[in-house]
Amino acid sequence: MQFSRSDRNGRLLIAGAAAAIAAVMVLVLIAGFRLATEIRASVAALQGTSVLQTYPAVISQQLTALRQRLQTLEYTGHVHRELTRTVRNFNLRLAAVERRNLDPAAIRHAESLWRHYAPQLAPVLAFSGEPYDDTDTGSSLSARGRKYYDQVRQAGIFAQTSAPVLHGALAAVSAALQARTSAAAARLRTLLLAGVLAVVLLALAAAYLQLSRARQQRAAREAQDQTRDILKTVREGFFLLDADYRIGAVWSQALTHLFGRSDFKGLAFEELLRDKVPADTLATAVKYIKLLWGERARENLMKSINPLGQLEVSVDNGRGGKESRFLQFDFHRVMGPKGVKHVLCAVGDITSSVLLARELQEAQENAHSQLDMMIGMLRADPLQVSAFLDSAAAGLKHVNTIMKEPARTDAEFRKKLAGLSRELHSIKGEAAALSLMSVAERVHRLEDMVAELTAKSELTGNDFLPVVLKLDELLAHLRGVREMTARLVSLKEGPAGAGTASLPQLRIGEAREPQAERPGRSCADLGALLEQLAGKLALDHGKRFALKLTGLTEVPAGYLETVKDCAIQMLRNAAVHGIEPCEARRAAAKPEIGEVCLQFRRLDPGYELVFQDDGAGLSPEALKEAAVRKNVLTAEEAAALDNRAALALIFRPGFSTRESVSMDAGRGTGMDLVARSVYGLGGKIGVSTNPGRFTRFKITLPAAGAAAAVA
Amino acid sequence: MSAAESIGRRQFRLLIVDDSNIMRRRIERSQRFEELAVVGTAGDGLEALELARRTDPDLVTMDLTMPQMDGIECISRLIAMKPSLRILVISALSDKATAVQAMEQGANGFLHKPFTDRQLNDAIAELIS
Repeated sequence: MQFSRSDRNGRLLIAGAAAAIAAVMVLVLIAGFRLATEIRASVAALQGTSVLQTYPAVISQQLTALRQRLQTLEYTGHVHRELTRTVRNFNLRLAAVERRNLDPAAIRHAESLWRHYAPQLAPVLAFSGEPYDDTDTGSSLSARGRKYYDQVRQAGIFAQTSAPVLHGALAAVSAALQARTSAAAARLRTLLLAGVLAVVLLALAAAYLQLSRARQQRAAREAQDQTRDILKTVREGFFLLDADYRIGAVWSQALTHLFGRSDFKGLAFEELLRDKVPADTLATAVKYIKLLWGERARENLMKSINPLGQLEVSVDNGRGGKESRFLQFDFHRVMGPKGVKHVLCAVGDITSSVLLARELQEAQENAHSQLDMMIGMLRADPLQVSAFLDSAAAGLKHVNTIMKEPARTDAEFRKKLAGLSRELHSIKGEAAALSLMSVAERVHRLEDMVAELTAKSELTGNDFLPVVLKLDELLAHLRGVREMTARLVSLKEGPAGAGTASLPQLRIGEAREPQAERPGRSCADLGALLEQLAGKLALDHGKRFALKLTGLTEVPAGYLETVKDCAIQMLRNAAVHGIEPCEARRAAAKPEIGEVCLQFRRLDPGYELVFQDDGAGLSPEALKEAAVRKNVLTAEEAAALDNRAALALIFRPGFSTRESVSMDAGRGTGMDLVARSVYGLGGKIGVSTNPGRFTRFKITLPAAGAAAAVA
Repeated sequence: MSAAESIGRRQFRLLIVDDSNIMRRRIERSQRFEELAVVGTAGDGLEALELARRTDPDLVTMDLTMPQMDGIECISRLIAMKPSLRILVISALSDKATAVQAMEQGANGFLHKPFTDRQLNDAIAELIS
């Protein structure tokens, strides 16, 4: 902008100089032409005056000749005629010189002299006819002739004295004309000199201007080149936004890489980000950009509220897919005379630093979780942990089997997801019960991923890759837990082995000892595990309840896993959904401390597990509403259900009345898991409730599976 | 107005809006400007509007999450009442969208909770300069 303006100025100056040269030349020509004309006129007048100077003498001679001829009575006619012609010519030439009016004073003098002279000549010139009388005796002057002779004589006498004077006067006119001519010639010379000088000076000035303009242009070109080089080389994307929030004509090349396009000129800022960021972020960004033009937008303030300081965008990765990048937008206002002229926008790719920061955070979290894990394991019974690790390993093995199953159709993939989800949920529940939060959180995140996949409209094998990676991580973590447990056990047992006789030997990393060999121990473990979980759930959810366990020693080894899984899930449901907060219990005139009972007993044949809480109970209407909300049922289908069928909804996969997903509830995989395990063993499950009073689950298991299930 | 401008130098009338009593006192005590006179403190948006009508402040410190009427709405109503009013948002909300919305409604500054005395005074200084 600056360059082109000065360039225009330079060009104007040069044009001005050229115009000045032309004007000077025209002026010199006009003035020179007038002077030359004047000189020409003067020269002509000078010539005329030179001829005029001779006339007085000629007239005088002719008068003398006339007088002599009259004396000798010779023929006078031709002399008279010559005189007449001479006088007439003199008059004519004098008038011509007078007309030119070049030096009035001198001419007037000559003219006045001639005015005295001419009357003397007039009677002579007026004579006509013959001045002689011819007789026989000879010729003599006639009376007119005598008079003529007298007039000629008098004129001659006058001429004798006047001719030199008139000649002198005419010489003066000539001299004046000469002086005048030479003055004009001198002026002409000066004029020409001055003209040439002026033209030379102006030409020099023009040349200087042209030179400096060329220098300026070179400088401008160089500056442009440098600007281009800068824009080509910088790693940030730079561009200017105008008052219509559109990108200007210049931007740095990095912008092309950052946004995978090159049609930035005139592009609206909104369009630049559209489809790359969520709609609400885009709306905020657009509002923010508008604010930058306002009076209140101070740089520091605007920097502090910049919503695009760390923006995650998805861009084409050049291989047909999309990838996530983190961009940082910085905005600087460019002020003009009338307020904000442009907003300079700098975009940097901070993906690597964001990822590094995340890695750091993850490392930190890992360190924390290891600490948590250690503390958790210090609290937990190593035997329980070991049992958990074994069952988790078995569960993950199952997961692996599920993952390996061939699948092509969407339905098959969804089936995989459902299986995955149930296994994970079960592992999470046990981990939480043992306060192994690092494990529980990892599984929770995996569940999140599975839930995301479930929500997708179309599934392919590639979608499972990140899940597999996370599963590997989980396995690695579980190995870490196992090692830690081993160390803790060796620590507890002590180097000297003092007082360790009573502790059972535990071989970490090997298959669990057959449960049947020490059923009492396992059942005691189960009781401890459930009590620990109950305490934790009560704390986490701000509930108060007592857990009553009866008959756990009756659980046969083959059913231990199933009873544990079911008990954990039902206990969790009771703590989260069933037992009301203390205030609600007080308000309902119920004992402040809730009661949760688990009773296991041998039937004949088979076994029975009854689980009951004295909480809020289940509301068939609420269950139906939730089922409709979650698209498990249509409104019509829901309306058609009776209370029994409504209660059975809780055994459906994906059903939960909780809106948000937390560690302990809300995934919707819970009671369906319990039901599936029970059905898997050939058992039955039933639910009964009294709203406001209790919820009771009754599970019956056949006698036959008790031994087989363990294999 | 007349009392505030009794001395030669320009006086600013400050209204403090925050639902926390502790925060109100903190702001009142921490500001170190002689040309600032606290003309009132309000605990929610409605009270702020009523107080602003009575005391005609020049400067308002505004919380965003408050009962009755939230800060964003209060800002837009206050600005509608007195366009020259300068408003400093003091909020624990950290999302940029809220800050941008507050600015859009007419706020002039934004300060994050928790803040130091120095940050508060710097933010006020920018507003009254």
